Amino acid sequence: MAEKLLEIKNLKQYFNQGKPNEVRAVDDVSFDIYKGETLGLVGESGCGKSTTGRTIIRLYDATDGEVIYDGVNVHDKKSKKDLKTFNQKMQMIFQDPYASLNPRMKVLDIIAEGLDIHGLVKNPKERKERVVELLETVGLNREHADRYAHEFSGGQRQRLGIARALAVNPEFIIADEPISALDVSIQAQVVNLLKELQKEKGLTYLFIAHDLSMVKYISDRIGVMYFGKLVELAPAEDLYNNPLHPYTQSLLSAIPLPDPNYERTRVRKSYDPSVHNYQDGEEVTMREITPGHFVYCSEKEYVALKAVSSARV
Amino acid sequence: MEKILEVKDLELSFHTFAGEVKAIRGVNFDLLKGETLAIVGESGSGKSVTTKSIMRLLPEHSSEFKNGEILFNGKDLTKLTDKEMQKIRGKDISMIFQDPMTSLNPTMPIGKQIMEPILKHRKVSKSEARKVSIDLLRLVGMPKPEARMKQYPHQFSGGQRQRIVIAIALACNPQILIADEPTTALDVTIQAQILELMKDLQKKIDTSIIFITHDLGVVANVADRVAVMYGGRIVEIGTVDEIFYNPQHPYTWGLLSSMPSLDTAEEKLYAIPGTPPDLLHPPKGDAFALRSDYALKIDLEEAPPFFKISDTHYAATWLLHPNAPQVEPPVAIVERMKKYPGSRYYEGTEGGAY
Repeated sequence: MAEKLLEIKNLKQYFNQGKPNEVRAVDDVSFDIYKGETLGLVGESGCGKSTTGRTIIRLYDATDGEVIYDGVNVHDKKSKKDLKTFNQKMQMIFQDPYASLNPRMKVLDIIAEGLDIHGLVKNPKERKERVVELLETVGLNREHADRYAHEFSGGQRQRLGIARALAVNPEFIIADEPISALDVSIQAQVVNLLKELQKEKGLTYLFIAHDLSMVKYISDRIGVMYFGKLVELAPAEDLYNNPLHPYTQSLLSAIPLPDPNYERTRVRKSYDPSVHNYQDGEEVTMREITPGHFVYCSEKEYVALKAVSSARV
Repeated sequence: MEKILEVKDLELSFHTFAGEVKAIRGVNFDLLKGETLAIVGESGSGKSVTTKSIMRLLPEHSSEFKNGEILFNGKDLTKLTDKEMQKIRGKDISMIFQDPMTSLNPTMPIGKQIMEPILKHRKVSKSEARKVSIDLLRLVGMPKPEARMKQYPHQFSGGQRQRIVIAIALACNPQILIADEPTTALDVTIQAQILELMKDLQKKIDTSIIFITHDLGVVANVADRVAVMYGGRIVEIGTVDEIFYNPQHPYTWGLLSSMPSLDTAEEKLYAIPGTPPDLLHPPKGDAFALRSDYALKIDLEEAPPFFKISDTHYAATWLLHPNAPQVEPPVAIVERMKKYPGSRYYEGTEGGAY
């Protein structure tokens, strides 16, 4: 695959650090994101997937670890100017299309805010033209520019969120559950739009979600998180056909599919963390089982998994 | 099988500043004893309003029954007084709401909240009600129920809260349980647990369930029969196999095709174009016609009646009229139909007739 765009190394994000109520939301997570790919990040609520996304884009200061974007550490001290260029490259689409748009601003101003900050347009006419162009890119039209957010449906608002993220010509977009609040038929529209934009503009996505069937559809590779740890990372097909970590297996077995015959026979596996029975001093890290397929495991488990997957091939 | 609830020609409107919103425009269905009927559809299709009108939970000043009846035990629920309705609500018919975070009272211990309907509807002492509540908590799989009776909602996780809400709904052994998106706010693994719990409880206490959801995976898992709603009407109703393997209405086709299945890798996902109809000005003919690739001329003029496909399967689309042209459903749907004996695309194990 292509070159690395983003390297996340031993990222840690602890809240209330040092206090009795310390929360290790993200606990020593490492992975890479390649240029032009979509990396899906899945897990239950509270597993730290959103926190990972937010720490990468510097909404939180990382407790420890590095996020290296195109060779530059995101969390290093930066001059205002450097920070601005960095902010332009990385954008975010939020989960709740109702809460993430300012109700007192017109669509024109919401979308143009980034343009103004980065000085990407010279005069009001150009500003308006650019916004209209963005609206058209996401399937809305000129008239929508003078409206307020409450005049739009959920799917349309999410399109506005996407237009706003695209305004500054970013390279990398973090989409934090962008479709969870939408209806099934509208979800498909938004996902198709994201895919088209990726093709056109060569964008890289980090797609955070808990709807596993959509994630598989949009992602090239998928990471599974559990209690602040990344437990498995593999190409999308591989992860679904051949999940190795018991938590991934349990997560996949819990998804109901729109197929009654399958549903009648589906058996749900539950995950019990005590199956690992890790001894003190045993080193548990991400290990590569088959090319590109990483699992969080101990040396002993690694040998066992390796044997299983080579038997399958 | 015995019918427990009959909804006949139900029409309901909301009066708003913008005008009259015709939220339900002629809904008919029966609920049989012991079955699970799933109602699916987009937001605004009228699925929640239908069930809220059964429970009479809609604001009286702005909503109005225009026509039709809801028959439960020979009584028309639309005509009952508030007093009479209070005797049914929470006792014979009870409801599980979508959001377990907001459907419990945050200032009241959960034990008290479970005891409330028991004290209200059954003639029992407080200590007896307490015992029943503890049994209920045990029934819904709550560990250490005695100790947890005194705790407040914020001390429970989302899945546990939904279990408490279910315990409250089951407190008086209701004949009908209405579950309005009970698992939408939950994680997949927790969702699976709650669905298993509901199915298990249904067998134990023999209640009928109306299950509202927009997740077709969940429908395939829980439902015996499925009603698909669109624009304030039911457009197709049938057994779960009939809806998933032999759907007839273009809207059902669209819904089923827009779900990515885990084993297909098509480049583009099918998306139903456009947006749901504005029920302030409902369209004259088939409400789905403007978004449908299969619309006929007549769809724009006259709303289609129900056409019978089998004794249990009906669909409201002109495509089923004898004079309608034969159309080819989307590829994903044809794939589904191949598995269903009785569909014209069925490929039997014998190799088929042609």
